[in-house]
This record gives sequence, structure tokens and C-alpha cells, in this order.
Amino acid sequence: MQSMQRARLGDQVARVVFFICAILLVAVIIGVIVFIGSKAFLVFGQGVNIRGFFLGTFWDPTGNGDPTGNGNPSYGAGGLILGSVITTVIAVIIVTPLAIGTAVFFTESAPGWLVRIMQPLIEIFTGVPSVVVGFLGLLVIVPLLQKLSAPLTGNLPTGGFGWGAAILVLVIMVLPTTLSISIDALRAVPGSVREASLALGSTRWQMMSKAVIPAAVTGLGTAVVLGFTRAIGETLAVALVLGGSQIPDNIFTLKAFFQPNVNITAQIAQDFGETAGAAQNAYWTLAFVLLVITFIFVSISRFLASRGVYK
Amino acid sequence: MSAQEVASSEAMPLEERLTALKRLSRRLALRNGIAMGVLWLITIVVAAIFIFVIIDLLVQGAPTLVKASFYGTSEAGIAPELFNTFYILILTEIFLFPIGLAAAIFLVEYSPQGRFITVIHFAAETLAGVPSLVLGMFGFLVFAVYAHMGTSRLAGALTLLCLNFPLALRLFEQALAAVPGELREGGLALGSTKWHMIRTVVLPSALPGLITGLILTAGKVIGEAAALIFTMGIFNPGNVFTLNPLVASDTLTTRLYYIKGPGAGSLPGVTSSQETALAAGIAAVLIILLLVINIAARGVGRAIQRRVTAA
Repeated sequence: MQSMQRARLGDQVARVVFFICAILLVAVIIGVIVFIGSKAFLVFGQGVNIRGFFLGTFWDPTGNGDPTGNGNPSYGAGGLILGSVITTVIAVIIVTPLAIGTAVFFTESAPGWLVRIMQPLIEIFTGVPSVVVGFLGLLVIVPLLQKLSAPLTGNLPTGGFGWGAAILVLVIMVLPTTLSISIDALRAVPGSVREASLALGSTRWQMMSKAVIPAAVTGLGTAVVLGFTRAIGETLAVALVLGGSQIPDNIFTLKAFFQPNVNITAQIAQDFGETAGAAQNAYWTLAFVLLVITFIFVSISRFLASRGVYK
Repeated sequence: MSAQEVASSEAMPLEERLTALKRLSRRLALRNGIAMGVLWLITIVVAAIFIFVIIDLLVQGAPTLVKASFYGTSEAGIAPELFNTFYILILTEIFLFPIGLAAAIFLVEYSPQGRFITVIHFAAETLAGVPSLVLGMFGFLVFAVYAHMGTSRLAGALTLLCLNFPLALRLFEQALAAVPGELREGGLALGSTKWHMIRTVVLPSALPGLITGLILTAGKVIGEAAALIFTMGIFNPGNVFTLNPLVASDTLTTRLYYIKGPGAGSLPGVTSSQETALAAGIAAVLIILLLVINIAARGVGRAIQRRVTAA
């Protein structure tokens, strides 16, 4: 009798412990939102208005770079946000056709040997540390872009750093994520859809474009949205090849892509650790902006996934 | 009149309908051929990018990898970073494996299907979408500052726990869900309590999947850097080979970031070209670790299949 009671007690204890661990996950994400949110709005109590924060283009929370020499801080994050948005959007625009094209070919008509090569490659690549890709960008992409853009930038010694290199590095970072989610989405489409289409006399391409892709469209949408999430939060790979501390003046010319530039994450990685107090508050606001953006993307991807027919 | 209309129109003479049909099928075949060619090309480009990145990193790092001083404790050696990387890996897994597994057990074995699981999964997806940099700032605030751990290995490991929790949960859930229901019912029918049944029936059957999950999260831990620069620091204490979890330290990834990022040109006694060689060596070591982890995970995966097919 006693041993049975003890077993039942052990069962209850185990259940409670497991429950706490599951709840811990919810606690972590709520903690992230609450703690970062609690610091996000402090900067607006320091004489910074929201308009100036999002539209200003001079970022100098420590005041060390104040042109008047008085050490007055400036909190213009517009340039940083623009940098993140431009690099992310262009990178995802490049990645989307590459990823979906490869995924369609991979699942529908690639020969077996190619699948056997690609499968482990994709899996390995999803795990490549971002700092390694950044290093490769520094070693290969930056010198290449410097040479290519020499006529445009007048052979700057720092030419090649900037948005252009950041976009290419982001493409390498985001491609495996978007690709593997696209492959999962296409594999979730049952074979009967393909057979039905082929039985009606479709060519392979008609089968892919008229039957399989429409059937998987929400899953492919999720893949692209999660690509955005990954790209906007990507830090060290981008930080190594951006190489700037302020947005350049001529941002609306092609030249802007080939000279040192900024985005949100690189700026945080470089300067957050060296600031304190009032200057640091501005970085918490940037972190909160990133958090809100990724939350919106995750919600979109969840909405898309809930609309999908095949899971 | 389009070829399709001619071919399907009863009013047209048979000859014309036949030629129209031929034209139609030729056009479809051509379009199919072009689409296939484009898809082949895209796939080859993507595969070439992947292969180039891996090969290039290994080739760049090879000359450094064969030098004995690369594995030393000097400024140009990585012995401290290797030690720290494995230290932080083990410390993180000590938290991550049991907590992730417990949460997965609750979701798969105990929790009723429905709203609770949806909430946990939504939390997991949101947390997975949070940029690792932002999670690093959260870890800095909560573990290093509020919990008074300072920038330390413990703060780093706890941040990595938060970062990898969603991935670990998903992998462990998959491993547990793959255990057939009959096994559970058999255990319960013999009169064991639920926790006893899970311990003696579910966990042993799910073991290969759990180990694969462990290996895959290990890969993520080794490759992470952005979440660590504020929580664990980028410098080593005087005596780095200590098991003390409350000292700051770097890892292979943060060292690579420091060498080519904020610390570029400032390593004592190391020239710029030696810096690049050192960074290339670290990148190659990271890629090799990643390959080993991937092969190990696949080996375990194959072991599962063998067990399943043998049973």
C-alpha cells in the first residue's frame, strides 16, 4: 500500500515539475517583452520626441561626436532603421526566387544524386555561425565589391563595406532557412495532388506551377516571412561588413551601397556594451523596435500557417 | 483564335484541329523545358554558393590549422577559446537538456490537446523569432544586472538556455511523439503509474531522437555569438582554465568577432595578416565542429531507423 502511495506521489511531483518547465517557456518570452519594454520608453523622458527618434538621422547617444563640441547627445535612429529595412528587404527579394525555385526543383524533379548532395548541405548550412559568414564576407565579398564599385566611389579605401556587402551576407544567412521551410511546405502537399494534375495531361512545369505551388502557397509565404525575421535580427555577420558609424549623406544614390553604413543590429553590437545610463536607454528602444518587428512577422507567419490546407 | 480553342472546337476541320493540337503540345513542352532549365540553373547556383562557402573557409583556414602555435595559449592561440566553448556548451546543456525534455514530456504525455498547447507553441515560435542580439540584451539585464551574476559564463549559459529552449522543445517533442502509442498503453495496462511508464517505456524508445536533439542544440550553442557578447563578455580572465562559472570569458565565435571587429589591429604582438590567418583558422575550426556535429546527428538518426526496422 505504502509503495503505491509513494509511486502516486512521485507521479504527482513529476507532473508538477514538467508543468513548471513548460510554463517557463511562456515566462521567458513574457519576461523578454516586459523587461525590454520597461526600458524602451525611458529615452523619451530625456527630451527626445518620438518623431525626432524615428526620423532623425544623427545617432550619437553618448554625445562624443557632437559637432558643436558640447557633448550633447543626439538620438536620430532613422538612418539605422532605414539601413535595417533596406538590407532586409533587398536580401529577401533576392532570396525568395532562389529559395522557392530550388525548393520546387528539389522536391518535384531533382534526380536522386542531387537530393543526396543537397540535403546535408542545406542542413549544415542552416547551422553555419553568422560570425563565420561575416568573416567570409570580409574576406571575399568586401574586396570584390570594392573593386567593382571603384569607378562609382572613387576608389575609397573603405569602399566595399556597406549595404551591398550586408545584403549579400544576409542572402547567404537567410537562404538556408527559407529554403528548408519551403521544402517542408512543398513536401506537405500530398502526392495525389501531383498525380491528379499529371493524369490530366499536365507537363511537369504545369503540375508544379498550377497545382503544387498554389497548394503550398501559405507554407511558402511562411518561409519568406521567417526569412524576414531571420534577416532583420541578423547581427554579427552584418556588423562585420557594414563598417560604418553614421549613415552617409548621399543615401539616395547607388554609391550609398558601397560605402560604410549602419543598421540597427550592428550599432547595438558595437556600442551597447560601452554605454550606460541615459545613453544606454536609446539602445533599449532600438531593441524594442526589433522585438516589435519580429513579433509582427511571427504573427503573420502563424496566421499564414493557420490558413494552410496541408500541414 | 488560340491553339487551344481551335483544337477543342468541334466546328473546325480535323486537319486544322490536329495541327493546332501539335502546336499546343510543342509550346507546352518548350515552356516545360525552359522552366526546367531555369530551375536546374537556380539549384546549381544555390548548391555552388553552399559548396563554395564551406570549401573556401576550410581552404583559408588550412595553413593556420596545421600550426602548433594555433592551439597554444598565446595571443595567437585558441586553447582558451576551445576550453571556453566546450565549457559553455556543457554548462548550457546541463540546463537545457533536462528543462527542454521536461517541457516536451509535459506537452506530449500530460497536457490535454487544445488551448494550452497552442499557447506554449505560440510562445515558442515568438521566442524563436526574437533576434539573438535582443535576447543577449535581455540576458544582460536580467542575469548579469538584476541577478548580480555580472558578465559571466553562468549568465551566458542561462541566456543560451532561453535562446535554444524553443528549438530543444521542438526536437524533443518530435522524438517523444515518434514513440508509438501502443507501447504507452501496454505500460499503463500493466498497472504502472504514468511517470513510471514514461521512464521505463517512452524515454528508452525515444533515446536516439533525444540524443539527435541534444547534438543539434549543441551545434546552435557552439555557433552562437551575438547573444554572448553582452552576457559573457569578449575577454578572458588571467587564469582562463577554471571551472568557475562566474568569470567572464570569450568563445571561438566571440573571439572571431573581436579579432575582425572591435579589436581589429589591436591584438598585442599580432600583425594584421596574422590576425586574418588566426580568424581564418577559427572559422575553419567552427566549420569542422559543425560538420562533425552534423555527421554525428545523422549517424544517430540512422541508428533510430535501424532500431525501428529491426523491431
